[in-house]
Amino acid sequence: MSTDSDTSTDTGAVLNVESGSRRAELVRLFLQPAAAIVLVVAVLVWAFNTDLDALEVVTLNPTTLLRTTWEHVLITIAVTVMVVVVAIPLGVVLTRRWAKPIAPIFVGIATIGQAAPAIGVIVLYFLLTQQEGLWAAAIPLAFVSLLPVLRNTMVGIQQVDPALVDAGRGVGMSAFTVLWRVELPLAVPLILAGLRTSLVLAVGTATLALFVNGGGLGFIIDTGYKIARTPVLLTGATLAVALALIVDWLGALAERYLGPKGLR
Amino acid sequence: MKLRPRHRLAALAAVGALVAGTSGCGLDAGYNLPFDVASGSIKPIPELEGVKIRVGSKNFTEQILLSYIAEVALTAAGADVEDMTNIQGSPVVRQALVVGDIDLYWEYTGTAWIQFQQNTKPIPDEQAQYEAVKKADLKQFGIAWLDYSPVNDKYALATTREFADKHGLKTMSDMVALVKKQPKLGTYCMESEFISRQDGLVGAEQVYGFDVPNSRIKTFGIGAIYAALAGGGVCNFGEVFTTDGRVLTLDLAVLEDDKKAFPQYNAAVTMRKEFLDQHPEIADVLEPVSAKLNNELILELSVKIDGEGMDPAVVARDWLVREGFVTVPKD
Repeated sequence: MSTDSDTSTDTGAVLNVESGSRRAELVRLFLQPAAAIVLVVAVLVWAFNTDLDALEVVTLNPTTLLRTTWEHVLITIAVTVMVVVVAIPLGVVLTRRWAKPIAPIFVGIATIGQAAPAIGVIVLYFLLTQQEGLWAAAIPLAFVSLLPVLRNTMVGIQQVDPALVDAGRGVGMSAFTVLWRVELPLAVPLILAGLRTSLVLAVGTATLALFVNGGGLGFIIDTGYKIARTPVLLTGATLAVALALIVDWLGALAERYLGPKGLR
Repeated sequence: MKLRPRHRLAALAAVGALVAGTSGCGLDAGYNLPFDVASGSIKPIPELEGVKIRVGSKNFTEQILLSYIAEVALTAAGADVEDMTNIQGSPVVRQALVVGDIDLYWEYTGTAWIQFQQNTKPIPDEQAQYEAVKKADLKQFGIAWLDYSPVNDKYALATTREFADKHGLKTMSDMVALVKKQPKLGTYCMESEFISRQDGLVGAEQVYGFDVPNSRIKTFGIGAIYAALAGGGVCNFGEVFTTDGRVLTLDLAVLEDDKKAFPQYNAAVTMRKEFLDQHPEIADVLEPVSAKLNNELILELSVKIDGEGMDPAVVARDWLVREGFVTVPKD
């Protein structure tokens, strides 16, 4: 065998050893946003080349599509921020030794949130508060998509090797420093995985925001369904799917680049 | 959507009871009618004896009520009625009729015209709209329409009684005059569909000569609109349906459509043409009943179902008994 072929086999072997899944992951990192863009372009080209009637142009125009997509993104961002701000600190607090007895109560409440139908939570929130608009949708949706982050934060911290915590305390770190320097960094991959799940949940359920004047792509989907106009329905649904793909992709990027270096 | 046999639904009864308790849907009703009926002015018809008729409906109170009225009447005529009420969404019910999963249901002229026949402009006259829909449906889809009933489940704009009294509002024209003087009062809660339809907001704006800026339109689910209106804080005006029982229970003031901007939504029984041809007696049974119905009656009966929690099948039967169409058999 020539040296050349040797080298090539080696490289192949190395790549294989480095794990096929990692390579698949890389391919996915490129393919996923590409797929989302292709989907959006395809459906838009198709929809705008269809003979749209007077009912369809009310929703299938650039202004309305941009506005509803933007509203959808805003709701998703608002939900994400609330989930991060509430679920991560709550998860941290609930894993402290003194909080052990009350932890099941909070996990129980979050589980109810996820188990309850999102539409019901949204409308109930509206009926109780008479609040409407972006926040009237985002607050109940945050409640609905809280659980994955809360759970993963708790599990992430609980699975940290107690020996590492002991070692931290042993070298003179305070409890807070141990949390900040040891426990949290080790929990980050799980927290991010939870956040990714929450985010995709939020994008999907944000299509229900229109029922309380929250706008979003649900407006396009609901209109298309109610007036029985397939181009409207498909455009709305495809945009929502593409948004979910992109958000999931951003979550994958975050998992890849925000995790602790040693664990990547 | 698949139409599953009711016995499978029985497993869901526990869950269904919860839902039925709040929305008055028909999950708690059986596969067949939960009672016997005897003939009144509707006599048993030999040709209908034992004929299986599957009656469907959409998923809201009025539809379920209308279906039970048809079911009770047909049962009294001797038919073997199967209850397939409470199917989610107009397109699904229509599809079920077209493919033969159900044999009849009540459809509205406006719905068929805009949704199924894909027209954009409504016809302002009731009779003319009905004739046009009937003709097109038969030609395009092989669907036959029985005579339309006076029940006209139209769009309307409503406000609270208090707000209407305060500003002296009776008609849509009054409302337009008010919002032209005080644009800030012109806040509207609407369903997504109402915004897109040419015979919804756009039509009203053209006919009455006013313009609602996007910033004053709020989109809600249809159910939430009633609550938003009644609460008073969210919007002053809202899209409602003229036969919805909540108009009565929440004491909303429905503004009269004095310039006839909104399309006609007369309810009529629709069937596949070949099914009607096989059983023309169905028309003889249902058309006299249909002619006796009207909006006030539907409101009154809907409140019994939604407000007092009565079984829609029982409400339907009691009305038919009241009108002498059927009788309750004596044991």
